[in-house]
Amino acid sequence: MFGEKAYLLIKELDRNRDSLPPYNTELLSEIHNEVKQLVTENQEDANVSEQSRLVENVSYVPTLKIRHAAIKRNIRCILAYHYNRLKCLKTIRWQFGSILPPEVKANLSQAEIDFFSKYSSSLMQYMRGIGDDGGVNLAVNLKPPKSLYIEVRCVVDYGQLELSDGSALLLKKNSRHHLPRTECEELIRQGVLEHVV
Amino acid sequence: MDEDTDDILNNIIDDDDDANIQMTPAELIQKMEEIWINEKFAPELLPHEQEIVDLVLSQISAMEDNVETLPSADFKKGFYQLEIDRIRFVVTSYLRQRLEKIETYVLHVLKEDEEREEAYLSEAEQQFALKYKEALEEHFDNATMFYPGLPFEDWKSNFVRPNMNSFVFLKAKSNVEGVVVDRGQGDDNEIVDIKAGSQMLISYKGVSDLIKKGDLRLI
Repeated sequence: MFGEKAYLLIKELDRNRDSLPPYNTELLSEIHNEVKQLVTENQEDANVSEQSRLVENVSYVPTLKIRHAAIKRNIRCILAYHYNRLKCLKTIRWQFGSILPPEVKANLSQAEIDFFSKYSSSLMQYMRGIGDDGGVNLAVNLKPPKSLYIEVRCVVDYGQLELSDGSALLLKKNSRHHLPRTECEELIRQGVLEHVV
Repeated sequence: MDEDTDDILNNIIDDDDDANIQMTPAELIQKMEEIWINEKFAPELLPHEQEIVDLVLSQISAMEDNVETLPSADFKKGFYQLEIDRIRFVVTSYLRQRLEKIETYVLHVLKEDEEREEAYLSEAEQQFALKYKEALEEHFDNATMFYPGLPFEDWKSNFVRPNMNSFVFLKAKSNVEGVVVDRGQGDDNEIVDIKAGSQMLISYKGVSDLIKKGDLRLI
């Protein structure tokens, strides 16, 4: 049945709502083949229709229409697949900053990696442009601040952390600290610290 | 607490006098909150308020400088820090909202901006939108151009449009007359007068101009 593989593609995206599965090149090439086949068949039939119009009036127009609809549906599914992966990629950019963790990078196609670097650089340029000196980093303060200090627990062995007022802190695994929010936010997002409520 | 903040701010805000808008710091922050909430609840991109954003950013940096001079043991320092953080959150949230709307409706926003006289996008936002649009187009072209003669141009003509008919809560700041409420089906469009201070739930389409002018605000 036409469009089944495209449907499988979308279902795969639906199964992993927030994370990026590996770029499914095989399924995509299967769909490409299906579309190519449909297009060639359509072109042949269009030619036959055109030629036979003068002789017998055989018209394949309904077949052409069905194939055209199938082609459009396949392309729409392909575009939806790509667009949703880009959306996921953008959320990852806002969470992790401009350097991709290697597990995520392994799941991306080359075009997606290009898009990510372009998006990252245009975002950086925008952030530098607002405000008068140095710009504003929009990736901090993602949630409204409730209190100044928060209690965090260290999840991995991070080593020395230098705070903005000069004092240094040794972050060992499972140690708890009471730190100002601005210092920890970046580390919480990276996963080094964990907010303890 | 607000009075203390005003004290700090009033000592330093003299450079506001050369801006066209003259406001006390408290008014400025309130205006910032208002445009923040408006942007959050409006379905389309509203005109940018670059001057207010700039003023608030300069205030934040002035406040930060002031806070540095306080002794570290003073517990008031914590409060001022928190206030600075809160204001900074409002500004960044506002800018992030706008970026999100630009990204979702990128083709629509760019086309509208060309046709309008006063652009709704600031310059930096315009550059960002153009670059984003190019990156998106290239990515999609890569994905679909695997065989000549495919109908892949369709997505460029069918824009993703914001839903202008979505409903919004609003509060009127002044008396407004003659708001057209579009019933949609029939031809009998009602004309409504809104009194100052009243709150209502209404479709966005009828009130979009008034929100941009400032007579109404979203809640």
